Amino acid sequence: MMVDLLAPLAADAILVIGALSLLLVDLILPPGEKRILGYGTIGVLLAALISTFALDLSGEAVGGAYEGDALALFFKRGFYVSAILASLASLDFGAKIWPRRQGEYFQLLLYSVLGMSLLAGVRDLLLLAVAFELMGVPLYAMAAFSRKDKLAVEGGLKLYLTGAVSSAVTLYGMSMLFGASGSTNLAEIASAPSSPMLAMGVALTLAGMGFKLGVAPFHMWVPDTYRGSPPPFVVLVAVAPKIAGIAALTRLLLAGDGALLDSVSELLLLLAWFTVIVGNVMALPQDSVRRLLGFSGVGHMGLLLLGLTTGTAEGIAAMLFYVAGYIFTTAGALLVLSAVADEDGNDGLARFAGLSQRSGFLAFAMLVFLLSLGGIPFVVGFWAKLYLFLAAWGAGYQLSVLFIALVGVIGLYYYLRVSRAMYMTEPTVEGPISVDLGTQLAIALCLVFVVGMGLVPQPFVAVAETAASVLR
Amino acid sequence: MQEQWVSALVFLGLAFSVPLSMLVGAALVRVRAKSNLEAKYDTYECGEEPDGPAWVRFHPRYYIVALVFVLFDVEAAFLFPWALTLRELGTLALVEMFVFVTVLLIGWAYALRKGALSWQ
Repeated sequence: MMVDLLAPLAADAILVIGALSLLLVDLILPPGEKRILGYGTIGVLLAALISTFALDLSGEAVGGAYEGDALALFFKRGFYVSAILASLASLDFGAKIWPRRQGEYFQLLLYSVLGMSLLAGVRDLLLLAVAFELMGVPLYAMAAFSRKDKLAVEGGLKLYLTGAVSSAVTLYGMSMLFGASGSTNLAEIASAPSSPMLAMGVALTLAGMGFKLGVAPFHMWVPDTYRGSPPPFVVLVAVAPKIAGIAALTRLLLAGDGALLDSVSELLLLLAWFTVIVGNVMALPQDSVRRLLGFSGVGHMGLLLLGLTTGTAEGIAAMLFYVAGYIFTTAGALLVLSAVADEDGNDGLARFAGLSQRSGFLAFAMLVFLLSLGGIPFVVGFWAKLYLFLAAWGAGYQLSVLFIALVGVIGLYYYLRVSRAMYMTEPTVEGPISVDLGTQLAIALCLVFVVGMGLVPQPFVAVAETAASVLR
Repeated sequence: MQEQWVSALVFLGLAFSVPLSMLVGAALVRVRAKSNLEAKYDTYECGEEPDGPAWVRFHPRYYIVALVFVLFDVEAAFLFPWALTLRELGTLALVEMFVFVTVLLIGWAYALRKGALSWQ
């Protein structure tokens, strides 16, 4: 009976059982052999990923608070893949920097992914709030995991404080949603008669989630956390929680007949415009490549918001395809960065000077990721932008499309600035770069998907369309 | 639609006026210390004479013990209603509680192994 109730949550159950088993293994392992926990974590995440393909995870669970539909599966796969990429990068880094605390790091990672995984199919405010916190709280600790590094502690503290404030704002908004509709079921909230309290509730919830997404004007933590935190953690925090925020917003705003989206669509569009401007303009003067990618990530969130604002099946499908591209492109660029940055985390443009002479593979991979971020043809970023703009144009947002496309051109400048440093200047640091096997594998995976999805986008678009078709 | 927002406006006005009136009221009736009295800049200790500086170190041991306490406190809070209604809920509730307690036991084993409960 219990098995029936929880069948749609089998992938999440794998995460829970795997995490708890690894915790017990951690307790009996001698301090010198903690490395195996990282492999175990990747194994657990892989098992969860395979279960989304092999098992039937459809249906309702936890009394209708969770529903495993195609959209939930799409997001779940995204979370697991980005967590696997981040874990691959953490293997060597963790063994070197915090050899005795590897177990805790991977534990926190698994719990955070569990929170995201629950968010993917959320249908109830209570589960939404709990899963959102389960995702966020482990991230605060992970950001400051190099506890002797002042920048890491600063980045962690900023993430924690903005996260705490955003949770408070979100919960306040949710209390208004409940007050206005008398229900915690998202579909019932959407069908409640429109009232100022409901609109304020949605706006506050949106603002709170905007913090997690790094949407301007709530983006202040992004560059500092990117710059200070351990590089393999940045690979996680730049991708998975942001997609989880998009997943939560999609679930909330498009619940029922999408009445909640209509009540805030102007606000959402305004946020998208502002986010694109701030992300692209603020990336211009950055010297730290991580801060640059942080602001560029803020800009990309604006595009995702544009896709969400349309609310049409095409718009959501385009947004989902963009999300898939964003996972591999951003994770890939940050993986290269974690290989190039030195022990103190310095990642100025000078570290990238002459990278092509020091490591041809890293320079080529970075070039492909930057082209994809900039939206140059034949890598995934181009198709993602094209589909998104076409869908938004078709939904009647012509002005926004023109404006956001124009602002996006600024992005080309700073992406090319990094490329120029890699290929056209002499190296300031001599000697080839040695990259550990885990990071190499993760970069290669990202490269395959960024190029593969650029050359044959159709199958991935088809998956995104199936996932989007469950809404409305 | 417009009239509906009036209540929000009143709420906003109240939210600002309550703390403002408190501050203004306090400013009117408070005891005024002479401007450069040394005691004015002392650490406030609810009327006690302050002893030592305010920035002192607390041992993190207290927080760890408090955390472990919360773990079992919550467990007990769940166990009582469960024990009262177990007959009506049946086997499912029994299995669920065992799962719950097992998860907490793993947490307890972790705390024990990491030395959170050893007081040296």
